[in-house]
Amino acid sequence: MIDIVNDKYSYPKFAVVGHPNKGKSSIVSSLALDDSVQIGDTPGTTQVKRGFPLTVDSKVIYELFDTPGFQRARRILSWLKEQEPVSADKRPKVVARFIDEHREDKRYLDEIELLEPIINGAGIIYVVDASKPYGPEYEVEMEILRWTGQPSMAILNLIGNEDYRDEWKMALGQYFRLVRTFNPVKAIFSDHMGLLESMAQLKEEWTVSIKVAIGILNNLHQQKVEQSVHAIVSNIQSTLSYVYVQEIKAEKATKEEQKSAKEKYRQEIMAQEKKMEKEIEFIWNHRSIGKVENLVIFEDIGLFSKESASIFGLSENELIITGASAGAVGGLSIDAAFGGNTLFLASIFGGIIGGVGAMVGFGNLYEVKILGKNLGKRELTVGPMKNLNFPYILLGRSLYHASIVAKRSHALRENIELEDEEFFTEQIIDSDTRKKLEKLHVKLRKGDEPSSEMIEEYHKIVLQSFLRLLR
Amino acid sequence: MQTKTNKLSITSYLNFAQLLEVYRGNHEENRLFALKYKSPDKKPIKMLLLWAKEYRFHLTQGLNSKAFVAYIGTTTQLLAFLFLLTGFLTGLGLLSYSGDAPVNITYYLFFAMIVPLLSMLVSLFTMFSRGGVAEFFSLFLSLHWLDKLVSFLPLESKKTFSKEVLLPDELTKWMMIERMQRISLLFSIGLVMALIFVVVVKDIAFGWSTTLDISVNSFHSFISTIALFWKDILPSAVPSLELIEISQYFRLGERLDKELVANANQLGAWWQFLAMATVFYAIVLRFIFWIFSYYGYQKILHKELLSLDGVTTLLREFSTPFVSTEATQGEKHLEIVKEDNLQVQNFMRKSYPNILGWNFSKDEILLANDSKEITYSTVASVGGSNTFLEDENKAKSISKTALLYVKSWEPPTMDFVDFLELLIENKKVDTIHIYPLGTVGRYYESDAKDISIWKRKIQGLKSEKVWIIDD
Repeated sequence: MIDIVNDKYSYPKFAVVGHPNKGKSSIVSSLALDDSVQIGDTPGTTQVKRGFPLTVDSKVIYELFDTPGFQRARRILSWLKEQEPVSADKRPKVVARFIDEHREDKRYLDEIELLEPIINGAGIIYVVDASKPYGPEYEVEMEILRWTGQPSMAILNLIGNEDYRDEWKMALGQYFRLVRTFNPVKAIFSDHMGLLESMAQLKEEWTVSIKVAIGILNNLHQQKVEQSVHAIVSNIQSTLSYVYVQEIKAEKATKEEQKSAKEKYRQEIMAQEKKMEKEIEFIWNHRSIGKVENLVIFEDIGLFSKESASIFGLSENELIITGASAGAVGGLSIDAAFGGNTLFLASIFGGIIGGVGAMVGFGNLYEVKILGKNLGKRELTVGPMKNLNFPYILLGRSLYHASIVAKRSHALRENIELEDEEFFTEQIIDSDTRKKLEKLHVKLRKGDEPSSEMIEEYHKIVLQSFLRLLR
Repeated sequence: MQTKTNKLSITSYLNFAQLLEVYRGNHEENRLFALKYKSPDKKPIKMLLLWAKEYRFHLTQGLNSKAFVAYIGTTTQLLAFLFLLTGFLTGLGLLSYSGDAPVNITYYLFFAMIVPLLSMLVSLFTMFSRGGVAEFFSLFLSLHWLDKLVSFLPLESKKTFSKEVLLPDELTKWMMIERMQRISLLFSIGLVMALIFVVVVKDIAFGWSTTLDISVNSFHSFISTIALFWKDILPSAVPSLELIEISQYFRLGERLDKELVANANQLGAWWQFLAMATVFYAIVLRFIFWIFSYYGYQKILHKELLSLDGVTTLLREFSTPFVSTEATQGEKHLEIVKEDNLQVQNFMRKSYPNILGWNFSKDEILLANDSKEITYSTVASVGGSNTFLEDENKAKSISKTALLYVKSWEPPTMDFVDFLELLIENKKVDTIHIYPLGTVGRYYESDAKDISIWKRKIQGLKSEKVWIIDD
């Protein structure tokens, strides 16, 4: 016999229930920050209940249950009503008896899976698709849930484009204590917290635990932001100071050797960017992001491409202002043809001298040197990156990627396309701030070790920009 | 893994760095570890070393530190012995006395005081400079060249670690400075030993001589300044003006000064001063320097350990509560049935003898008939708020062909399948057309994805009677 749990000291549990295919798993995936939950448009994707506990150092704060949808609700209600009439306070026991008596009955596997956690004390989160019209067939399910006697709320999930929320609210209001709209696919962190606040209101005894959970999740969010910024800044540091070294036998490097060294240098920088992206996806718990077809945000927009420069680089004017004000290097040269033909990956080597701009090619983006070595061997070195615009392209791409990942709902299984927006970096980091950033860029370009204060200031600027993007 | 006291040493540093290369744990494990050893006095280094001890079993390959420490230990011991011997032999050389001329104390002072002081000054410059400047100063340290010489020796232990152990420049520098103080100390001890030995076994006359125009008084002041630190403790080790006066000799003349010869018995009194000068300037000061360099070496060892790749994450994981929101059990994945051999019609008949509406009211069915211009004999509402018994009766009462309207957006539940099976079992029914309708707002137009769900479900029934209308 199932024990009906009324232990007020046990942690709160919530069963996400409803009709099949109404986004129950999406809501769980979104709230549990877990993108491994199988979400499908095929009814019955969820076959058994699955618990998603929020644990802090192995202590459970609350637990969410993803459950299969109702399949034979009418038969269950009919069975419940056929029993000897009981007062409302005894109805949960009748539901518990139904579970006990039908545990081996294959017809009710889904219902038992979804009713069991409720009878064991879980609060009810009933999910409906409010983009489709209300139907009286839902009343059977709602009635069964009412029989369980557990605190309940309804979530209006807008899966499609139509909006039938008003008619749903009229009906749901008669069965549930709270009715809230929540779109798991579009929900951002503040929406999650708002929903948790609502869940805290379901039962007085749960309020403290849920408030604690909100605090924990807020801290966790803050930590993830900090870790992402750390990953971005570390990558910028290592990329800008990176030097590729290749041993050569002759006195001078051949054209082929130079070409190959430059290519390897670029590949290493791109690999570092990919590694950082993976790290950020891991931080935000998007473990399955790589499995989504065509999800790679910058798939067609390479780090060294014209598009990347036009979206994430600085405009020519801003580049001159930034370069000149930072007093980077002597002389100005604008690389008007990065990768052959872009204006935005201009290299400014120093302050403006009489407004004279010299055009340099792709090969001049980074320093190529031949260094002598012991025993007659010589080394060809490529780097560090001399291009003035490159740090902004890298920073812009990193911030863009991180903000997309951080804001991406764990319920989302689709691709996000890069918006066609010019000068993204310029929009999020103003000229004054860029001057501060440039100090570190200059230091790294020279191959010098930046001070911890300098890195800390850089970190602060990136953090502010990232937080602005997350709003 | 580390010393018994958990004190940081080069061995524990190297082992820790090697462990980080192969194992870093994860947040959950590392947090659990930190909680296990949680106590107020657990400092980061101590925690890291304890962590390394706990997970040392991951180091299945040989420890790099073993060969490195063996190599450094052997070379340092070898050099220490050589320095002690050199100090002793240098002392014997400087104090060699044939009786023809006194031992010139200025030579001795140069090696016992000036050379060590210069060496300490160079050590000081090396300590407080970085990069190229530090490298330049280190060129003046004898150990720098001796290490290079030793590195040419075909030592087996060097071969073992030379590729694996790459110490940071600062750490290498401080290691060398610390070792330098140790072996220099032994050189000075050798010098003092030689002085004591010679004084004991020989009767030596000391004198002083210089080309420079230095008066006796000036030389006395100079000597008194040198002896400043012990003049109160050991006055006999401070040469008097008289001793200095009688000890002076000149380069001209084959014979010694008469006064010098006359006072030969007093000339040996210098030895105490020389011994004290060596003890204070070459031993005590060097010892202080060694303590200082050892402290600096330990400090840099701590700093370098904390800046190893992965340490920041490890420490963060120690101190940050591990929050998990993921499911504890795996997911049972649904097998998606491929669409094949579907019984689909893309047109409807103009007339049906029986029209049923699953979860539709009678009015809604009539509206749909109107819209689709379908004539009919009987219309009935099934599902929804009807009881299963009512539906059973309706299913048994119809014959020939039946059109069954369903809500395309509501996936087929088992409740529906049960009803459909009643229709299929009804031998009077020869054909069942299932027509998934869209919402009225969309003029009954359905989404292809919703139709597809219906097709798959009906296909699963494997009944030749049932057809899906997809117009």
